[in-house]
Amino acid sequence: MSLLAFRDVDSFYGRAQVLRGVSFEIGAGERVAILGRNGVGKTTVVNTFLGIASLGKGEITLAGKPSGRIRNYTAARAGISVVPQGRRIIGALSVKENLVLGSAVDRKGSWTLERVFNLFPILRERQDTSGTALSGGQQQMLAIGRALMANPALLVLDEPSEGLAPVIIDELADVFVRLAGEGTSLLLIEQHISLVRRVAQTYHMLSKGAVVESGTLAELTDEQLKRHVAV
Amino acid sequence: MLIHVLNGLVYGGLLYLVAVGLVLIFGLRQVVNFAHGSLFMLGAYVAYATIAIAGFWIGLLAAAIVLALLGLLLDRTVFRQLQDQDPIVTVLVTFGLLLVLEDFVRTVWGRDNLTVAVPQLLQGTVDIAGASFPIYRLFVIAAAAVIGAGLTIWLKTSRVGLYVRAFAADPVTTGMQGVDTERVSASVVAVGAGLAGLSGAIASPLLALSPAMGGSILIESFIVVVVGGFGSFSGAFVAALVIGQLQNFGIVFVPSIASMVPFLLMMAILIYRPEGLAGKAS
Repeated sequence: MSLLAFRDVDSFYGRAQVLRGVSFEIGAGERVAILGRNGVGKTTVVNTFLGIASLGKGEITLAGKPSGRIRNYTAARAGISVVPQGRRIIGALSVKENLVLGSAVDRKGSWTLERVFNLFPILRERQDTSGTALSGGQQQMLAIGRALMANPALLVLDEPSEGLAPVIIDELADVFVRLAGEGTSLLLIEQHISLVRRVAQTYHMLSKGAVVESGTLAELTDEQLKRHVAV
Repeated sequence: MLIHVLNGLVYGGLLYLVAVGLVLIFGLRQVVNFAHGSLFMLGAYVAYATIAIAGFWIGLLAAAIVLALLGLLLDRTVFRQLQDQDPIVTVLVTFGLLLVLEDFVRTVWGRDNLTVAVPQLLQGTVDIAGASFPIYRLFVIAAAAVIGAGLTIWLKTSRVGLYVRAFAADPVTTGMQGVDTERVSASVVAVGAGLAGLSGAIASPLLALSPAMGGSILIESFIVVVVGGFGSFSGAFVAALVIGQLQNFGIVFVPSIASMVPFLLMMAILIYRPEGLAGKAS
């Protein structure tokens, strides 16, 4: 079953069009990357199915069903959890409360507070401190843990390596590989190519709001990367 | 002296119940509700009408329920539409709403002042430190304390309370987790309006009911919200108690400037700590 599909999607912030005829599909167990330079519309893909950017032309299906009017909670209730760019940890809540907030959709599954604490033991140690009192890497762990608390069918990771030290990126890559091994589908939006190569199977390259190339990571050449991703 | 402190607690408790509704509505809808004092006034009138038929306690309950339902209606028809509007639009619309509600009350109940009797159970006085103090005023303090504590426990320990705190801090991220933020907002506006109505009903035996009675408590509630820090529940609590005491001691010891004291405090806070007592400096 398709977990998330874009069919010929145009999307807008106000009158400004960002996505132009974007199509892609993610099925159960797949690990897909969306690549491209800053400002080409990668995060707008996420913002469109979250209802932050408005859908113009085209259709989005969530868990195999047409999205209809997209509300901010629509994707989460269709089993899609997002680790947003910049993490968006809520500082007014403790670490534990941020995690509990992630379980708002009440989907059945194996992810519990205890299991998230086992995956990221530092979160157990600091569970009563403010979410924003954590370091950048710990906040990323919290954002991932919060998303897992929803027991998602599809985990969307928007620039998870942003601002993190290489050693932390390696640790997170291990976590993503482990999640993928357990059958969680992944949509990875990322510019850190070594992380993408470790985690994703297929890619879609965005340029000026449109998908210009698609294929498997094994086929992706340095020449293509230089053309579309390198600054 | 203790009697003066208790009188300050009576006024501070009522201020807190009104101000916390303002904080809830501002926190979730980003709407500064100039009509909030009218909800307090309308609560008092609903209680007046219900008490005449069904007694005091049903009157309190009716005021809370009717105003909570009105809050739901206002959320859907007014506040939801205002949340992304220019602040001046919010001021004009909610001020217009205040005038509409006052005119509604004038039309239904007339211009004359009305009074509500203290219920028999709470009539009389008790001796405190050698001075007599009305039992009803003790009831007001207890009711404000119980409602305030209940609200705090609800916000701190319940799932919905967690969603409310999360939404007040970051509505986009809260929605992203699957929380129906529109429903949470509507519920919280209903709670805020219901609390304003309930505090109007509780205050009704202490005040002369008139359509303009919401004006003064609205102004002082705004002072509470500013002094406490916009969006802060704990700040509103502390500020309401401080302003209640200042107001009361001002009337007793410096009556000529008593009405200015809360404004002077607000000015000092805005100059020296604009984020409020409980706010964080940005």
